[in-house]
Amino acid sequence: MVKVYSISNCPWCDKVKKYLKAKQIDFTEYNIEEDEAARDMCYKISGDLTVPVTTIDGKAFVVSFDKAKLDELLGL
Amino acid sequence: MKKEEQQRDIIIIGGGIAGLTAALYAGRMNLEVLVLESELVGGQIINAHSIENYPGFAAIKGSDLIASVQEQAEKYGAVLDEFDRIIRLDLTAQPKIVETESFIYHAGAVIIASGMTRRKLPLAKEQQYLGKGVHYCELCDGHMYQDKTIAVVGGGNAAIDAADFLTKYAKKLYVIHRGSKLTADESSQEKLKKQPAVEILLNTEIRDLNGAGALETLELYDKEQEERRQVPVDALFVNIGVIPNTQLFKGALALDEDARIVAGEDCRTNISGVFAAGDVRTKPVRQLTTAAADGTVAAILAEKYIQSLKEEE
Repeated sequence: MVKVYSISNCPWCDKVKKYLKAKQIDFTEYNIEEDEAARDMCYKISGDLTVPVTTIDGKAFVVSFDKAKLDELLGL
Repeated sequence: MKKEEQQRDIIIIGGGIAGLTAALYAGRMNLEVLVLESELVGGQIINAHSIENYPGFAAIKGSDLIASVQEQAEKYGAVLDEFDRIIRLDLTAQPKIVETESFIYHAGAVIIASGMTRRKLPLAKEQQYLGKGVHYCELCDGHMYQDKTIAVVGGGNAAIDAADFLTKYAKKLYVIHRGSKLTADESSQEKLKKQPAVEILLNTEIRDLNGAGALETLELYDKEQEERRQVPVDALFVNIGVIPNTQLFKGALALDEDARIVAGEDCRTNISGVFAAGDVRTKPVRQLTTAAADGTVAAILAEKYIQSLKEEE
């Protein structure tokens, strides 16, 4: 399962979401400005609140838009 | 696996205002046009939360302006790929070769509108605190500092625009500039100076970053007083200028001493059929409007170049 932690008005968040859509990968988005539990979880995952953070099956995460790392973790 | 080879009339490198304007014009001339942008579509202005000097708009967000121009270009058939990355160019070949991670493109003409990248903070600990207090994207990371002390380093339009945006979060906001006066538009400066949380520190350099884990203090040097002091901050947003994105073209295209592509008002470079448009080109004024103008000129002259090739055949 792919999760994207994001905020509104974030160009890199938009880019990650567009990429996942282009690759037809389902994901759930959590807006950490609006969802306090998601905010805490984002901090727990990456150690800060820089967004976007993309998690794959809860095992690995990618900060910002790192295509090579996303491809590797998603098996693209 | 062998890469698929594809033909295009024009390949535009860069999806900022210059590149998208070129795409719009090329599309309207019924040319097959592909825009390659591996970073953010919109380039530098995507972070601008209010553009007030683009004709036709009293104020518009950079992302809204870009979305509108992109939609306009796509309406006329331009295709934008914002995920593929260029790995090799042969600009002297005819057709010109643009190899990406996924394809090998052959193009009649190439328009380079690769723009500029923000200059990194030239301090040894920049990487240590990157994302942990040191940031380059106020839109992405500003929200982390609600009711905190924020500093912005830089004195140009981008820095003042960032500072203005960050006042919505900061309880205290420093603008740190090494020069004796800010270089941003007077109207933007005046707007910022009215904010009670803002303190502008001129003639001031950041000499060091400190903190256990995350950034906690800046070591500042006052050039007039010749004094050092520690200023507690939670975050530092860096806006200290830009550098041209011309790494790919070194050795092939003529660059000036600042690594910008040498090209005149006709956007022609030293290689036939290769045009440079926008901030990446040598020119005295770099504005959104002049970038759009370059995109227009480059597309029209690229079309003429392609026509001249066809007439030679």
